[in-house]
Amino acid sequence: MNHRLEAGLATVLLYGAMAGVLIFFYVPIFTLIAFSFQEGRYLTLPFDGFSLKWYGELFRSAPALDALWNSALIAVAATLFATVIGSMAAIVAVRYRFNGKRMFLALIGTPLAFPQLLLGIVLLLWFSVLGRWFGFNNGVVTAIIGHVVYIAPFVTVIVAVQVASFDPVLEDAARDCGASIWEVYRYITIPLLWPGIFSAALFAFLLSWGNFYITYSLAGSTRTLPTFIFSGISIGSTPLYPAIATIVFIPGILLVMLANRFRLRAQKL
Amino acid sequence: MEPEIARSWRDPELLIKALPSVLLQTTCFLAPLLMTFILTFQRTRDFQLRWTWDLATWIEIFSKPHYWTILIHTLVMASVCVVICILLALPAAYGLATRFKRIENEIKILITFAFITDATLKTFGWVLFLDKKGGANFMLSYLGFPPEMVAFLFTDWATLLGMVYNLLPFAIFTIYLSIDSIDRSLILAAQDAGAGKFRAHWEVTLPLCKPGIWAGSVLIFLLGVGVFLEPKVLGGGKSPMAAELIRQTFETRVNWPLGAALTLVLMVVAVFVVLLISRISGMRRAGL
Repeated sequence: MNHRLEAGLATVLLYGAMAGVLIFFYVPIFTLIAFSFQEGRYLTLPFDGFSLKWYGELFRSAPALDALWNSALIAVAATLFATVIGSMAAIVAVRYRFNGKRMFLALIGTPLAFPQLLLGIVLLLWFSVLGRWFGFNNGVVTAIIGHVVYIAPFVTVIVAVQVASFDPVLEDAARDCGASIWEVYRYITIPLLWPGIFSAALFAFLLSWGNFYITYSLAGSTRTLPTFIFSGISIGSTPLYPAIATIVFIPGILLVMLANRFRLRAQKL
Repeated sequence: MEPEIARSWRDPELLIKALPSVLLQTTCFLAPLLMTFILTFQRTRDFQLRWTWDLATWIEIFSKPHYWTILIHTLVMASVCVVICILLALPAAYGLATRFKRIENEIKILITFAFITDATLKTFGWVLFLDKKGGANFMLSYLGFPPEMVAFLFTDWATLLGMVYNLLPFAIFTIYLSIDSIDRSLILAAQDAGAGKFRAHWEVTLPLCKPGIWAGSVLIFLLGVGVFLEPKVLGGGKSPMAAELIRQTFETRVNWPLGAALTLVLMVVAVFVVLLISRISGMRRAGL
């Protein structure tokens, strides 16, 4: 009887905690979605009325569209570089044994636990000094480099899981059949690691797309969506910003679902 | 896991794959860190950096208690945030790993999406929710509570809420992974031996997921001392934390050496706290 009481209590506790956490996570998200339909200019309740007016406003706002374009550009470039560099590091980290491996792992792993703002500032100093010597300004390129430094270790961790479950005998077999190193990668290694690489790339894209701290430090006068929103909300805002948020949520949830499907397929292999 | 293959650095298989990461993280992570350290010995005058080697910056930092008050405030906030995150994440992660198998994937998608969504947006969402005329007060007054009951926006409590909100997923992920890798039969064995659910949890599951709790705590603590968005947006910038101080030093005061030194102090103190606690908990484990 006592055990059944305990089991019941445990169930209530676990379900309650999970429900509580999920509600907690979605309070600000649903608040933003709700406020994007406010008709009036001010972000206060009760609403003056419901309308899609601010969505129309959004697509006429040049700075907002500019920020959208910059976000996309930086995210695509950062994803590409971070995925290639991070995936190769994952193979090295899981499959090879070599001198200085511990140092290698420490070097590629530290940015994971490094506060982003500080990483941004440290890089800002670096690029400012280099920029003065070599005559360049901070902008899209420095932002991309900053994103890659921060995101490549995440890619490494995700791809490493896939590499660990990958049977190297398959590569040996292909090699025994006369495949060149390149052919082994092209037809065996990359296709088998693809689910992991792909979900890592999606994750990298999302991390870059939503990044505030590093972009804020490194993008110079270039604005991406997060920094555009930050500068907007500190002045005093209109429902334009919740409308941007809602627009951004849609590709976000779709990409997360896609990444999850790939992760599941990766586990089955 | 399969055995690792021994490779030398002259092997192109290793070199081609490892070199990009090594180059990237040395030129864009290690070198900047080193330069930050060098910068602390320089001075700025008329908003220009002067290459003079002296200890002026360090003397200023160690002689002004103002900086240390902010640093301690930051460390306390980060520690409280760690404790709250772990307490919230433990039952949620445990449930995710052991129960709700049918909707496990949907829950994971929901958590990942909440985690991955732009922190600026979510923090702004909290402002709208907690505002005097925001969502929380609107709902509460609709339910018959007195008006403007939720009035802690622009205080440390709101900052803390934002920090817990933005960092909680890290605790859930790390604890979930460690519980997920526990051999389930150990828990069943404990229950067969007569332990109740809570006792089995306390004596078997909890010790076994210690690495996950520890990893989550370290991650949240290190990220927590560097938060800037939450104190600025939710805390109203009234009681600045270390990151805000550093940003002001760079942007408003244009004092690079001081900013660089404060950055290093924050990093070193944060890492020192982590090492100290791991040492203490490690010694405790050895004493048992």
